[in-house]
Amino acid sequence: MPNGAGTDPIRTNQLTKRYGATVAVDRLDLVVRAGEVYGFLGPNGAGKTTTIRLLLGLHRPTSGSAAIFGIDAWREPVAAHRRAAYVAGEPFLWPALTSAETFAYLARLHGSVDSAYRAELVERFQLDTSRKVRALSKGNRQKIQVIAAFATRADLLLLDEPTSGLDPLMEIAFRQTVLEAKERGQTVFLSSHILSEVEALCDRVGILRRGRLVDEGTLSDLRHLAAQTIEVTFAGPAPDLGPLPDVRVAPAGANALRFEVTGSPQPLLAALAAHPVVDLTSREPSLEEIFLHHYDESGKRVGG
Amino acid sequence: MSAARAVTRRAVADSRIRNVSFAGFLGLIAFANVVGYRHTYPTLKERLAFAASFGTNKAVELFYGHPHDLLTVGGYTAWRVGGIGAIIAAVWGLLAAVRALRTEEESGRQELVLAGVLERRAAYLAAVAAIGAGGALLWLALTLGLAAGRLPVGGSAYLALATIASGAVFAGVGAVASQLAATRRVAVELSAAVLVLAFLLRTVADISSGLGGLRWATPLGWSEELRPFADPRPAVLVLPAVTAALLFVAGEAIARGRDVGTGLIQGRDSSEPRLRLLSSPAALALRSQRGSLAGWLAGTGVFALVVGLLSTSFTSANIPESLRRELHKLGGASITTPAGALGFYFVLFVFAFSLFACSQIAAARREEADQELETLLALPVSRTRWLVGRILLAAGCTTFLAFSTGLLAWAGAAGKGAHVSLPRMLEAGANSLPVAFLFLALAAFAFALVPRASVGIAYGLVSVAFVWELFGALLGAPRWLLDLTPYQHVGLVPAQPFRAAAAGIMLGIAAGAAASAVALFRRRDLAGA
Repeated sequence: MPNGAGTDPIRTNQLTKRYGATVAVDRLDLVVRAGEVYGFLGPNGAGKTTTIRLLLGLHRPTSGSAAIFGIDAWREPVAAHRRAAYVAGEPFLWPALTSAETFAYLARLHGSVDSAYRAELVERFQLDTSRKVRALSKGNRQKIQVIAAFATRADLLLLDEPTSGLDPLMEIAFRQTVLEAKERGQTVFLSSHILSEVEALCDRVGILRRGRLVDEGTLSDLRHLAAQTIEVTFAGPAPDLGPLPDVRVAPAGANALRFEVTGSPQPLLAALAAHPVVDLTSREPSLEEIFLHHYDESGKRVGG
Repeated sequence: MSAARAVTRRAVADSRIRNVSFAGFLGLIAFANVVGYRHTYPTLKERLAFAASFGTNKAVELFYGHPHDLLTVGGYTAWRVGGIGAIIAAVWGLLAAVRALRTEEESGRQELVLAGVLERRAAYLAAVAAIGAGGALLWLALTLGLAAGRLPVGGSAYLALATIASGAVFAGVGAVASQLAATRRVAVELSAAVLVLAFLLRTVADISSGLGGLRWATPLGWSEELRPFADPRPAVLVLPAVTAALLFVAGEAIARGRDVGTGLIQGRDSSEPRLRLLSSPAALALRSQRGSLAGWLAGTGVFALVVGLLSTSFTSANIPESLRRELHKLGGASITTPAGALGFYFVLFVFAFSLFACSQIAAARREEADQELETLLALPVSRTRWLVGRILLAAGCTTFLAFSTGLLAWAGAAGKGAHVSLPRMLEAGANSLPVAFLFLALAAFAFALVPRASVGIAYGLVSVAFVWELFGALLGAPRWLLDLTPYQHVGLVPAQPFRAAAAGIMLGIAAGAAASAVALFRRRDLAGA
């Protein structure tokens, strides 16, 4: 597996794309390292799909650049695409071809295919390859894209919401396939809305908002920066603990309070010592909470 | 009720560009003809001579239909505008119906509408109302164009109605085709096949003696039998009105009984893999267009055969100076010899091949709009390879079409014992290619520069150039203006020699435009629908 700064699977440099007055991607510096599964999150319209189109050289950067394995995505798309495979968010295929014909066509155009693995994936995803694309549901068309992309064994997989339309069983098959790719040393760039999927698969996560990367890191990095939630139930009515540093308080039912702690929990624990506590639970923030925190325009930014 | 109105308004808004283009086009043709006839044949003496010769000239009838009165401005206009206008209106009608009744459904938007409070019948009627609104606009533009040329308003309105009547019938044809076919493309192809058949019937009716009755069998013939400005027979309007109504009712009945999103003709959804023609994007394009290619081949082929068979039947009546002038303006050459007639009609094929070239770029644009191109270009396929492949495929298919047309025209003529050699007819086919390639390259250039508008621009350029060729001279336009249309520079092979210089210049421009198209396309963002 190639390594070093010049050959990162994905590297963008101040990548910017404007459509008229709209800034879709804003001075984005993104690095995805070889062999990792990178989760790309962001609300609708954050610029995720635009970023992927720029990475594929389908749209031209207004300024800055994007490179796949050190190959400029806009200037040398064909060389870049030989090392990548792409799954689009919407499966745009050829309605009159059957799945088998589509596989043959895509393999022919990509140039590399592991037919044995493709057969295994067809089995795994339970796809009837004799059906014409026009007769398939969105989920089944999505399977064609996923199977074709993974069967190329490309060094980099660019996946734009690949599981939209897949049922939970297929979602499991998809996760297995991603983990297999990772084991083989392939790099996966996964844009997704399904947080459990990102949580289960990704080594690192980047959160995009309004075309900018507002947060990036491993899941534990992100958790560390976000608030911890502590719920406390008292023997009687909940007491007033007064103002505490880095702590937000909210009622959580009868006799209970929820604390959002962004710094050390020590001052809170000291204040609680004077009261009759019957139950105390503490949990790390879920990715969903981190995510919502960043998506919500009014939310106070944490880290980033 | 208000939901139905919203659907109608939406459909009217969606088709406004096409409706306004067709209306403007018809209006201009109408105006140009009225003014042109007065200009070219100012006195009764000239008109009599003109009528005497044209009235007996089958060749010109093939082109414009059967004249009923050539002595008055109105009668002449009815013949010239009515004949071509009926075809233009028919094309408009079938496109409008397929747009409103099949494209909406194929895109899935119809499902959304029917998931609302609107009943199927109401949704269908709302779409038909939008088509009707477009037809009214065409009728108005045509009436205004004729009246602006100082024809009586009442007669103008009647001639316009006679012309638009074929539009109504073919809108009905499009409505039924939209129920039969599951895709826009197939629906358009089915309706176009009916139109070609109707044109063929009219041609045979107008040209073969004793078969005039056939005119009643084709909607294009009804427009003639309404005889505007000559001997008006408004009762004939019942024919197109009833036919259109029946077709629309039939369409509604089918629409009510079938699953939304499907057509009555439903191919098989499963098949054994057939791996031929999957080796490149151009190969797949050829594979998916086999059907329409066969249609074009059949349409132009049958016509070529008919023209060939008829080429010996044009008599050399005594041709006065005025007719010579008119013919010269229309493209020269005497059409009283088989070679002359074939050369004259090949201009029509040049026009058809230009349209075919546009249809190829339109298919490429559709691939981009449907985002299949995005799937393709995310693979190791370069934009250059894709676009060059499509242009070469289009050029190849056009060439094939041109040579088979030449071959079949020769076969028809030879069958009637005409002295026209096969190499000369193949040369006639080749002679039509520079213009077709020029329009192909210009269409590709528009596609690269302004993708969303490119299809309209391409068809518009071809149509305007052809109409300018037909009518420009009548208006007494200066030479340099007439020379702007490429059709002006086509030698009428086999009657005239091949014009190598003009062909060379057109091919040069085509090569430049195609190269610029590829360079521009490499630099732009892909554009969705």
